[in-house]
Amino acid sequence: MNEYRFEDIYIGMEEAFSVTITEEMMSHFTEITGDINPLHNDEDFAKAMHHPSRVVYGMLTASFISTLGGVYLPGKYCLIQGVEVKFAKPVYIGDVLLVSGKVTELHESVGQLTIKVTIKNQDGTTVCKGKLKAGVMTE
Amino acid sequence: MTREEVFDKLNKVFADVFDDEDIVVNEDTTADDIEDWDSLEHINLVVAVENEFNIKFNMGEVNSFKDVGAMVDNILEKLA
Repeated sequence: MNEYRFEDIYIGMEEAFSVTITEEMMSHFTEITGDINPLHNDEDFAKAMHHPSRVVYGMLTASFISTLGGVYLPGKYCLIQGVEVKFAKPVYIGDVLLVSGKVTELHESVGQLTIKVTIKNQDGTTVCKGKLKAGVMTE
Repeated sequence: MTREEVFDKLNKVFADVFDDEDIVVNEDTTADDIEDWDSLEHINLVVAVENEFNIKFNMGEVNSFKDVGAMVDNILEKLA
């Protein structure tokens, strides 16, 4: 886990990690949220909707923005204050996602950084993009 | 930029941050006058003001603003 403090962070700073979406993640997400929509839970329904298989919850994909902030950038001292997200393309079970963030704004007055977030699949296609606003806790 | 012009811009910033087109701030407006002005919205407001006027406050300045008028004083100093 990274432990960046506000003074360690600069405009253009980047961090990234990859994650593979599994069946288990999907079932846990369904259990936690209660979202039983068939697009995410019924293979036949998803295929009838012209998808090759069940579609991964957009919010499951977006949940890795929490990891990006809380583990990588800034890491340990992160306090997520807001997230904006767009789901650009569908994600499927087995996809390998590259979650990356780049610092675009620093506001020393309130200890806040803005991170541009991009999530790409194994083909390099952007499946999710967004903006993370996070504070960095002080001692 | 005149004081009046700063207030015109600030009203737009406040309306956007607090999602309320009817907000009108004046010299004496404080967080107590706007129901949704909590600690998180305070951060959002400061960031939005910095971006709108293309200025940066420091932490000491932000903590010293007793009302919107004091913030406007500081903005005008930075724009001078």
